[in-house]
Amino acid sequence: MTSSKFRIRRVAVLGAGVMGAQIAAHCANAQVRVVLYDLPAAGPDPDATVRRALAGLRKLEPAPLASTDLASQIEIAHYDRDLARLAECDLVIEAIAERMDWKQALYARVAPHLRDDAIFATNTSGLSINALAAACPEGMRHRFCGVHFFNPPRYMALVELIPALGTDAALLDRLEDFLTTTLGKNVVRALDTPNFVANRVGVFSMLAAMHHTTRLGLGFDEVDALTGPLIGRPKSATYRTADVVGLDTLAHVVNTMTGQLAADPWHRHYVLPAWLTALVERGALGQKTRAGIYRKDGRQIKVLDVDLQDYRDADRGVADEVQALLAERDPAMKLAALRASTHPQAQFLWSIFRDIFHYVAVHLGDIAHNARDIDCAMRWGFGWSAGPFETWQGAGWQQVAEWLREDIAEGHTMSAAPLPAWVTERHGVHEAGGSWSASAAAIEARPPTPRQLFPQRLPGESARATHTVWEGEEVRLWTLDDADGERVPVLSFKSRMSAVGPRVLEGLLEGIARAERDFDGLVIWQPDGPFSVGANLKQIRPVLEAGDFVALERVVADFQKASLAIKYAQVPVIAAVRGLALGGGCEFVMHSPRVVAALESYIGLVEAGVGLIPAGGGCKEFAIRSARAAEASATRDPMNFLQSVFQTVAMAQVSRSARHAQQLGLLKPDDLVVMHADEVLHVARRNAIAMAESAWRPPLPAVDIPVAGRSGIATLDMMLVNMREGGQISAHDYRVAHAAAVALCGGEIDAGTRVSEQWLLDVERALFVDLLKTRDTQARIAHMMDTGKPLRN
Amino acid sequence: MKQIQDVYVVAARRTPVGRKGGALSTVRPDDMLAHVLRGVLDAVPAFDAADIGDVIVGCAMPEAEQGMNVARIGLLLAGLPVSVPGITINRFCASGLNAVADAAARIMTGQCDVAIGAGTESMSVMPTMMGNKVSVNPRAFEPGGPLAIAYGMGITAEKVATQYGVSREDQDAFALESHRRALAAREAGRFRDEVLPVTVRSHRPDPAGGNTVALSERVIDADEGPRADSSLEALARLRPVFAARGSVTAGNSSQMSDGAAAVLLMSETALKRTGATPLARFRGFSVAGVAPEIMGIGPVEAIPRALSQAGLRQADIDWLELNEAFAAQALAVMRTLDLDPARVNPLGGAIALGHPLGATGAIRVATLIAAMQRGEARCGMVSMCIGTGMGAAGLFEKV
Repeated sequence: MTSSKFRIRRVAVLGAGVMGAQIAAHCANAQVRVVLYDLPAAGPDPDATVRRALAGLRKLEPAPLASTDLASQIEIAHYDRDLARLAECDLVIEAIAERMDWKQALYARVAPHLRDDAIFATNTSGLSINALAAACPEGMRHRFCGVHFFNPPRYMALVELIPALGTDAALLDRLEDFLTTTLGKNVVRALDTPNFVANRVGVFSMLAAMHHTTRLGLGFDEVDALTGPLIGRPKSATYRTADVVGLDTLAHVVNTMTGQLAADPWHRHYVLPAWLTALVERGALGQKTRAGIYRKDGRQIKVLDVDLQDYRDADRGVADEVQALLAERDPAMKLAALRASTHPQAQFLWSIFRDIFHYVAVHLGDIAHNARDIDCAMRWGFGWSAGPFETWQGAGWQQVAEWLREDIAEGHTMSAAPLPAWVTERHGVHEAGGSWSASAAAIEARPPTPRQLFPQRLPGESARATHTVWEGEEVRLWTLDDADGERVPVLSFKSRMSAVGPRVLEGLLEGIARAERDFDGLVIWQPDGPFSVGANLKQIRPVLEAGDFVALERVVADFQKASLAIKYAQVPVIAAVRGLALGGGCEFVMHSPRVVAALESYIGLVEAGVGLIPAGGGCKEFAIRSARAAEASATRDPMNFLQSVFQTVAMAQVSRSARHAQQLGLLKPDDLVVMHADEVLHVARRNAIAMAESAWRPPLPAVDIPVAGRSGIATLDMMLVNMREGGQISAHDYRVAHAAAVALCGGEIDAGTRVSEQWLLDVERALFVDLLKTRDTQARIAHMMDTGKPLRN
Repeated sequence: MKQIQDVYVVAARRTPVGRKGGALSTVRPDDMLAHVLRGVLDAVPAFDAADIGDVIVGCAMPEAEQGMNVARIGLLLAGLPVSVPGITINRFCASGLNAVADAAARIMTGQCDVAIGAGTESMSVMPTMMGNKVSVNPRAFEPGGPLAIAYGMGITAEKVATQYGVSREDQDAFALESHRRALAAREAGRFRDEVLPVTVRSHRPDPAGGNTVALSERVIDADEGPRADSSLEALARLRPVFAARGSVTAGNSSQMSDGAAAVLLMSETALKRTGATPLARFRGFSVAGVAPEIMGIGPVEAIPRALSQAGLRQADIDWLELNEAFAAQALAVMRTLDLDPARVNPLGGAIALGHPLGATGAIRVATLIAAMQRGEARCGMVSMCIGTGMGAAGLFEKV
């Protein structure tokens, strides 16, 4: 017998602060029962603190909850009344303020109530895990560790898992599985060193940026323009990130480094600049106090100018000549050019890259198991598109090392610490077999990820081999060389952003035909990028400009045919979604008998944005679903369902998560939501096989569909008339939304008339082509293609 | 049968008005109606309820909990004799006032000597302002069709504001004054005589556990709408609800509410028979149509018509209950007719006190009659605008 299965039935989160409440929210997102604790509040309602935190979750942006109704799933508790309930929890996460004495006191209080097989973890970002373990009773220490979430926990992929000296290794593995598969996070195993991995490197990166900002006399807005998407980092870049994190929080993290890293070669840089300390002292803590390094004056964004000792307009950007250097595609040439340039912005960029490279090279051995962990931590915890080692390796390991040595020798670097010997001996840190561990002086292989068939790769790592079954111009049908692959192939679109044009439609039909002939199922999944952004406007535009509406109607008919092929295929065609599924992409999803969607899926029928209505079967599918729901209800009135559906279509609403898509009716209640985006393909393939094994049959054709008809259209028009009269929508918005109303209500026929699926398709197709013929819709399409933004005309 | 006879109000009572989703939201509208029917009967003890010729009840959305001819349901729930008939009528926001006028007309024309006019509305039980199922005739949207019947009330208020030049600032100031007056009146106990406290019974799972139902009771005795925290600054911060560049906000519109009221009316013959004390004489009622797209202006047509029929002048009216559907329309009506703001809604109006659609007319009659009893009004009027474009006005004179 193997050991019994590990189940986390219920989680307790101690501390309803910003992180605690959001961790609890994410547990609810993952359908894990969760109890949120805090101190009893003074006053009549002892639960007021937690209640306030839950109310805050509904308002916070970006939304911590995948759908707002999940807030009521979080159970409310306080320490005076509810400690006994801890016995029901398999995992207890402490997330109170970063005070050793408070944590010690809490641990002593909760310890007697924990089950003797419960895992106890702290979300500390700055305190020592071993010191905290010492505060636990001895019998509990092997079940204690750090789980460090990043803010905001729903969206930041990283969780650092930090064992204490005595933590049970098997327990860590089980917890990692839970964090990965159940909560959808990416785990990096960290060591118990100050600020662990991501914050250690990330905060140094900020301090280095601050150091060089002052040295080169740059503005904070200028530095943010340089250190954002231009170098593969988030839009909030350096200083805006500091404002978002909170300058007091940043100060706390830096203080940890000051106090605990006395022997560190960069120790003298572990201080906040005087201007930042002054901001904290006067309570300008960033976003939460509405002023920090930046301040919003009405619509104008101002930035602190240290020379002026005041805020000024934040209007400085990247110099043209530096833009030109950054446009270089070869990373080696780019870094060389930045280093060679005398422009202060270029010097700044070279300096921050160089000092981070220097820092991680010197510290790799003592802060991380291997280089992969540092690079992944920076990707997942700070949103960098590449970690420091990857960037270095990509630019030529030895060349960059040579530049580093020169700069160290000439005293340009922030520390004079010499590069470790291994830097000279090696030609990179990542290779096919794994990544370099400085402490083990060896390459460490990536642990296997059986549920993630295509995990994010680092340089030198090769992707899993695939076998092409058939390839069309814009579609590829392929399999993995494993048992599931023999039964279920994958269909991927090769077009940019997986946009759907005539050649994708042809390929889709061919793929489905082959799956029916040779396999037991089919998964539609894209290896890179979104599921699909919808119709390929680029391919359609010339036909539209030529005014060939007959050809356009044929394309729409083909679209509908493809949707029906997905729905009625003789083998299950599973849409495996992560990221965007818009317009036609959404319609494919709606026709799939079983969707497997990552929690972070943003699904919507956005056609109204370009002056059109869904005509790949989207309106038809909603009309059928509303009719079926109505038939099961007491009043049998499809309008009860169509009204909200109409708003979703007419407002081009995009779901904020897969669970929200279920609420909007874009996903079916029995479609599967998977927490980890990289596990979607695995789950989809297993589902296809399970369905095949269950002798699954496609649905029978939808017949005798009662529609809302003319009365329904009038009811929806009523809403539109008021919006038009109130100047909330334009005349063309009205026309488009009215067309959506007609399609959803099954055409200008009597209410209650029973129609066929083909009738509904014909109605929406005709309306679509009518809209295409209007000048305003054509202008919207052209504007979207030219600017990427919707035109309000 | 005597053809024309005078009609007197002998009792008028109302529930407190609760906010939608608020204190009265769990009280059924038929129960609220039964409560006020019982209330007016209890106010005149020495009379036989079997004498009531008809109970006429106004309701703007007479369906579901307030459907099934809620008048008949309410009177049976109130324990009135089965011989007493009941009818529900609907003239939207003027339903309650119209019910009082119809009850009076029954007596005036000699069909009976005693009648009740009432109103009940729970906007909490209705899923939308337009009832359980919204359905408009498709012909409204045909060229030349009556499109304005599809307009929401908010859009019509915007149109009135534009057409009559009522500024956002004036609307907000009017709204604030409505709250100020209502709060002052509530604090001074000036609603005490007209309001029948409602005991709200809640049936909830027992928090102590077990499979038992815990019954709790709470007495609601005051209007829930008036806000002490209202201010011009707070009102100015609200965004227009109905139009992108509009001026009508949630703050300068009437509140959606729950409430009921009943008015007991008698002929002179009945007064003599029962010994009841007349409080006011019903002086007349008028209703008039206006363009649906500016429905709020309805009282501009109805008020002069009612005055003229009664042979009165505007100056004779010393107390006017002008329903504040929206500050925009109330101000437009007041300016057009040159009404004295001091005499209009001295205790606040629907912006503060709430507007349970079909009940409001009867509720404001109760307020007017109470003012007469206190000696604050001699000749008073209740007037309101009506969705799809009408106005109504009813006249009462202290006896």
